Amino acid sequence: MSSSPRKRPASEAIVAGGVVVLLIAIVAIVLLSGAGRSLYPPKAATHEAAATSGLYDIVFAIAVAVFLAVEGLIVWSILRYRRRPEDVDLPPQTHGNNFVEVLWTLIPTVIVLYLFVVSYNTLNTVDTVTTDPDIRIQAIAGQFQWQFEYLDAQGNHIATQTKPNGDGGGMAVPVGERVQVTLTSHDVIHAWYVPRFLFKRDVIPGQTNKFEFTVNEDEAGQTFRGQCAELCGTGHRVMLFNVVAMTPSDFDAWLQNLIAVENATPPPAPSGAPVLKEEAKNISFAQTTLQAPANAPFVIEFTNSDPSSITHDIDIKDSGGKVVAEQDTIPGGTKQDYTYPALPAGTYTFFCSIHSNMTGTLTVQ
Amino acid sequence: MATHALSPAVAAYRGGLYEWLTTTDHKKIGMMYVLNSFIFFLIGGIFALLVRSELAQPGIQIFTNEHVYNESFSIHATVMIFLFIIPMLAGLGNYIVPLQIGAPDMAFPRINALSFWMLPLGGILLLAGFLTPGGAAAAGWTSYPPLSERGALASPGPGQDLWLASLVLIGTSSILGAVNFIVTIFKMRAPGMTLFRMPIMVWTVLVTSVLVLMATPVFTSALVMLFIDRNYGGSFFNPATGGIAVLYQNVFWFYSHPAVYVMVLPAMGVISEVLPVFSRKPLFGYKAFIFATAGIGALGFTVWAHHMFTTGAVFLPFFSLMTAAIGVPTGVKMFNWIFTMFRGQLTFSTPLIFSIGFLTMFLVGGINGVFSAAVPVDFALHDTYWVVAHLHYVLFGGSAFGVFAGIYYWFPKMTGRMLSESLGKIHFVLMFVGFNLTFFPMHMLGLSGMPRRIADYASDAGWNDWNLVATIGGFTIAISMLPFIWNVLVSLRNGKIAGDDPWEGNTLEWATSSPPPPYNFDRLPEIRSERPVFDQRHGLGHGGHANGGHDDPGHDDAPKSLPAPGAAS
Repeated sequence: MSSSPRKRPASEAIVAGGVVVLLIAIVAIVLLSGAGRSLYPPKAATHEAAATSGLYDIVFAIAVAVFLAVEGLIVWSILRYRRRPEDVDLPPQTHGNNFVEVLWTLIPTVIVLYLFVVSYNTLNTVDTVTTDPDIRIQAIAGQFQWQFEYLDAQGNHIATQTKPNGDGGGMAVPVGERVQVTLTSHDVIHAWYVPRFLFKRDVIPGQTNKFEFTVNEDEAGQTFRGQCAELCGTGHRVMLFNVVAMTPSDFDAWLQNLIAVENATPPPAPSGAPVLKEEAKNISFAQTTLQAPANAPFVIEFTNSDPSSITHDIDIKDSGGKVVAEQDTIPGGTKQDYTYPALPAGTYTFFCSIHSNMTGTLTVQ
Repeated sequence: MATHALSPAVAAYRGGLYEWLTTTDHKKIGMMYVLNSFIFFLIGGIFALLVRSELAQPGIQIFTNEHVYNESFSIHATVMIFLFIIPMLAGLGNYIVPLQIGAPDMAFPRINALSFWMLPLGGILLLAGFLTPGGAAAAGWTSYPPLSERGALASPGPGQDLWLASLVLIGTSSILGAVNFIVTIFKMRAPGMTLFRMPIMVWTVLVTSVLVLMATPVFTSALVMLFIDRNYGGSFFNPATGGIAVLYQNVFWFYSHPAVYVMVLPAMGVISEVLPVFSRKPLFGYKAFIFATAGIGALGFTVWAHHMFTTGAVFLPFFSLMTAAIGVPTGVKMFNWIFTMFRGQLTFSTPLIFSIGFLTMFLVGGINGVFSAAVPVDFALHDTYWVVAHLHYVLFGGSAFGVFAGIYYWFPKMTGRMLSESLGKIHFVLMFVGFNLTFFPMHMLGLSGMPRRIADYASDAGWNDWNLVATIGGFTIAISMLPFIWNVLVSLRNGKIAGDDPWEGNTLEWATSSPPPPYNFDRLPEIRSERPVFDQRHGLGHGGHANGGHDDPGHDDAPKSLPAPGAAS
């Protein structure tokens, strides 16, 4: 039987303890420096996000404390208790200790119960749906684009924003007012995600999800990026959208303008220009070859015969891959005359900017 | 053929390719599991490198057909989970469990061979998808319908059907293996090997097998339902025909969350063998550890919907509470491991270094998982790169480091030769650094809003730097495999002769020759604790010449679960 292990020199403990203190110091410096900022979520833009952000801070503080305590214990153990040549006899054969087992069962239990309670309380702030929101928007997700339909208190259509981002695009919302978003999809599962809202919600066909938020008053004029967060096919990454925060009066003007645009008759195609026809159906172009005259503007009369959630457009790129003409997308069940600038003779590719499989050849001669 | 590469070091088994193809020896089957899983690890790794290369900088560089990008990450994950981690650990268990309980083989040797041979077949089916029109499965390893249903913009090609068929096959392999393990462990233990003297590795394989047996049939039902939807006009999951999309997610995660423990418990078993041996101490809190393992197994069935917090179709408080609760037994294990090293005498051989890698990285994977248990925080982090970081800290930082600890630990037993320590340490340093470079930045990417499974991102989104770092890390991991493969190839021929017990082990596999004879043991030491070989070495018990030996390899119906006379308590 082995017994009375050699007494370890105090220097080992000093070295081991020193390394642990050093590690803690490094972590503290990283967390307090600029690099540490990237371990926090982005600045909360809504009242709900502020609550989530506060919860994150609590979880993060506990996480750092647990990380430092346990990693510190590991590092200390491996530095302090390495076997030395004179270690011939066995160390004490400790089989366990019921007291410490109970201790390190109870302490984590208390911690996780505390976390559960605070997160449950926050959940009630973040995930509440009311019956009388100020603004109602139905977000329609389709492969691979978003549309935002504005509804009145009875759920009737006011106007639809078909342009999810870019110039004049985006889901506009007034700051300081409670916005309720209803999510619908007619094809696959998508997810509505805005990082600065610290929030996402799945858009599931056959199921209606709702959530609410109130953008902070000091965010008027800001544009928040959003995008689909649930794999939805080949165009998953192009399902981008913006949320545009406006003062309530700007928002009212914006919405009136949207209504006016929707009711306006589309301008007639410029007279004299040659008119080509194209149709999109079942996520493909009916014609994959088109001809246009060289050096003269022309028009494509475009019909989108897919379901209303599927949007298409016809953009053109030259043989070098440079995009020479871009159009706005139109939802399924609508038509539009796209006017294109004069192009020099050559072979071009026309394509839908939403669906990478939809391409065709445009011969300009 | 790799079998030829193995044969010089296992001269006792030399018998050519035919012998390997027809064997029912659990040790050869176990080694084939390990080799097969490692090959699929390399295949899965190549897909990961393709994905990381595409994401290194904004813009589309490699995948001009973005569908192939979706195929790449889908097949990467499917291969790593179903063809690397799960079978790799099953293979280590296959080799080690009969040895550790003093049995001559598994209970059903031919079913054991069947379970193995289904795996390469399943893998070939899965990868055959690349040869079909429309390519391999591209709906992610989760394959949520309606995206995985048949449809022009969903999954039109046969690749998705091959994915389903392949996973049914691999699942069946798992179920057969689980039955085999359970029967072996309950019926084939040597005299004196009571349940509470079984090595922790055996316990973790037992709990894992129960999880597999309870969960995998449920998963198979989801796969079959989706197959019917796709091919015979079923309407289980497709809302367009009256199905329920979220139903699939419930059934899928009812399996796939316990599957996380299938992927991590045996790796915990490995390091629970390694840490005591290289600390020269028993595992701290042996019974507490077993109860924690069983607790994780049981709680593992109550947390599946934490993968679905953002669906709006989940009772959030229950799954949040249970998810938080499962952290407790995991924490108990962490402290038991640390206190095993505490006041021990640590020898930093490669198996111990990889085990410490497991401890430090799995801790991160446990902590960043708690963020997602807080539901509102999960609303922010779900389906972002944060989750990618979390799952890799658990499954790579945890399981894969545990797998390598096990390979370095048992390679001398399997082949009779030692691996090079210095190459092993180079492997560890490269893999550890590469791993953290790859996956730690993903926390930052996820927090700042980068979703999973996108082929490209805007150059002004602020994600460029961390993506580049992650890609550099990914290639560092790939490079770390070179010293490992070189080490194995060289050591098979020229490695130092290991002897029976090179590490001063505790458990019965170290009581037989390296490699063991086909029937495993000429004689067994007396089993009076969970460390029979330790007891024998230090003259505890009665000298190890007792009645445990049983030389007849075909004689596997002997009553072995009875304790040896006088061995009680």
